[in-house]
Amino acid sequence: MARMKFICDAERCIECNGCVTACKSEHEVPWGVNRRRVVTVNDGKVGERSISVACMHCTDAPCMAVCPVDCFYKTEEGVVLHDKDLCIGCGYCFYACPFGAPQFPQAGAFGLRGKMDKCTFCAGGPEVDNSAEEIKKYGRNRLSEGKLPACAEMCSTKALLGGDGEVIASIYQQRVKRRGKGEEVWGWAMAYNRKDAKSAAKQEVKA
Amino acid sequence: MIGAGRWQQNARRAAPVLVFAVSVLGLSGCGEIDQKAKTEKIYSGKKDAEAYDNTKFAGDKSKWESAMVERSKTQNEYNRTDTKKPAAN
Repeated sequence: MARMKFICDAERCIECNGCVTACKSEHEVPWGVNRRRVVTVNDGKVGERSISVACMHCTDAPCMAVCPVDCFYKTEEGVVLHDKDLCIGCGYCFYACPFGAPQFPQAGAFGLRGKMDKCTFCAGGPEVDNSAEEIKKYGRNRLSEGKLPACAEMCSTKALLGGDGEVIASIYQQRVKRRGKGEEVWGWAMAYNRKDAKSAAKQEVKA
Repeated sequence: MIGAGRWQQNARRAAPVLVFAVSVLGLSGCGEIDQKAKTEKIYSGKKDAEAYDNTKFAGDKSKWESAMVERSKTQNEYNRTDTKKPAAN
């Protein structure tokens, strides 16, 4: 099996925040903590794009590398999780994460940080699956029920795809072929030649 | 003039050594050095059960994996809707 991954299709995302709401509702995430959020680029301008962002469950996760108490672990499917009993709320993971995924609930006056909270890919944490303890600390464990993350399953336009990396990549590929655009989003052209990304990507496809 | 001759002789002798040294130095840039951080992070928390290690999947990994793949495929609305043209009556 491939690794568990998210893809957000910026061509489809309509900034409805359904994914954010689904996540908060499913896991009863406390006030002030957003495991997932929608970011809009060029808001209000023609051609604005929105993308739903959460923990990307990195292959070489920087949060794991910087954690001083080694509270992070990775499941067989590549989901990055952490043990809240070990977390000291230092915030190093927040500085290391390029997506701003780690969240810290306010644990007292004067902005005192609580233990880190982040997207679990609906895989819970290191407690007995779907026990009261796990739900309280990490939220529901949908993967153990054979379900996908709530955010992806609730997405009305299916902009946010989650699950087996190979399957969701093939869904996205089929979509791009159907609509005839979107291939410019991926590849070297976008990474190194931003201005001509579209034409370069088309040439790559032709070749 | 004699000094210049010696110098030329020495230069001729040193030339192959120099060429060899420069090529070795040049090739040293072609090595692939592992750029991963050497620090090994060892998880020190509680052990988590596998997602298939429960009553529903009874520890059957392949059953869980195929269930996840099938569930992932439901996100493709091209498969959910009938995209074929209706048959002409």
